[in-house]
Amino acid sequence: MKAEVNYTDVELIAAISAGTDLNRAIQFIYRQHAEATSAFIRHYGGSEQDADDIFQEAVVAFIDIVRKGKFRMESNVRTFLASIAKHCWFNELKKRDRADQRHRKFELGRDQNEPDIAEHISLLERKKQLRDIVDSLGESCRKILLLFYYENMSMKEIVSHLPYENEQVVRNKKYKCLQQLTGLIKDNPAIARQMQEIIK
Amino acid sequence: MTPDQTRLLIDHLDENLRSKATAPPDDIIANDPEAEKEWNYLSLAVDAIKDAGLNQQVAAVRTAWKAGQAADASSTVPGVTTKSRTPVRTLYRYTLRAAAVILIITGSTAIYKYLSVSSASLYDRYYSSYSLNTARGAGDTDLISQAYNAKDWTTVRHLAATAKPHTNQTDFLAGMACLEQKQYDEAISHFEQIIAVNSHAGTDYYQDEAEYYLAISWLARKKINEAMPILEKILTDQHHQYHEKVMKMSFLDLRLAQYKENK
Repeated sequence: MKAEVNYTDVELIAAISAGTDLNRAIQFIYRQHAEATSAFIRHYGGSEQDADDIFQEAVVAFIDIVRKGKFRMESNVRTFLASIAKHCWFNELKKRDRADQRHRKFELGRDQNEPDIAEHISLLERKKQLRDIVDSLGESCRKILLLFYYENMSMKEIVSHLPYENEQVVRNKKYKCLQQLTGLIKDNPAIARQMQEIIK
Repeated sequence: MTPDQTRLLIDHLDENLRSKATAPPDDIIANDPEAEKEWNYLSLAVDAIKDAGLNQQVAAVRTAWKAGQAADASSTVPGVTTKSRTPVRTLYRYTLRAAAVILIITGSTAIYKYLSVSSASLYDRYYSSYSLNTARGAGDTDLISQAYNAKDWTTVRHLAATAKPHTNQTDFLAGMACLEQKQYDEAISHFEQIIAVNSHAGTDYYQDEAEYYLAISWLARKKINEAMPILEKILTDQHHQYHEKVMKMSFLDLRLAQYKENK
């Protein structure tokens, strides 16, 4: 059993940026911040499942922001995570058409000193749509692309993980899969247009 | 875009990613808007894959964390010191555990009580022999008293049956002898005879003794519905000779036994 690791905010940002032991950093985030944030979601009408989903979304967004060097430490991690989670939940309520009823309560629950996360929030929904497109890929394609682009595995390492004959087969397969994914995104021009902002 | 151009862009993108650079290949896209568009789509696709991967990783940690929480709630692992998440959660858990233990103990006690309590068990608990020496018969030298003090129950019953004159004392001692010999119906007859005589004559000779031991005899006969009115009467009568004794009885147990017998 691995010992639990505690981080200060600065150490946590450094650990996420380095990416050497991201699982421990995520575990720490859950241990330290999940309960308070989830309690907030439940307080504003969410189920336990909602709270878990929203917090997961907030953690993914937070790590992405840190990795891109966009977390400016203007607020502490807890406040930042809570802000993202609140906005995610508000957007979810809007989707569920219960915004009118909840909005007033939500606004009452907002801390006026919350960090300005509007620039990050606007991208979250589009990222979720893109994630759905990735999920619609076949299992073998999704796996090979994840191993190469997310796990940063070499072709040689992927050959040992997946049932392919050699590196060239993997290279060709990866090429086709990336083209397939690009094609799916192109077929959804609204997403593609919006997402241009992310990669600029 | 030809397939070769696309492949070239992808290779360039991969090299960029591995070297952590993100600049587009100027030599390819500088004068080709189509290539620039393709480059943007490819970058977008890779960004989506990375986001999906991160989401998958966080989901895996979340699942493990939830499983750990569930395990923490149900048990603790001996020899492993687990750090509490927050003092409030720990206190809450301990309170729940204490409540569960109390509930189990209370439940077990209630079940045990329900199963074990009965008229017969109450008779065993509350029956005590009548001592003639410490009551009004002390000093008597007649044969029946001697036989009673000698615990010669058969002789007591024989003498009582042939006694002349027949008194409440002879009836009471005969009743107690019957109780000692577990002849409960006969004992009940003797005690009821005393009460009837007193009622008819307006006397109270051996009245309190007869009432108390009549109730005890009904318990022995497993007829608690007959015993309860007598015990309740003694309980409300502070001057009754057996009031203190009945006060010490558990009426909860008596009611429980009554409930079981009436089911």
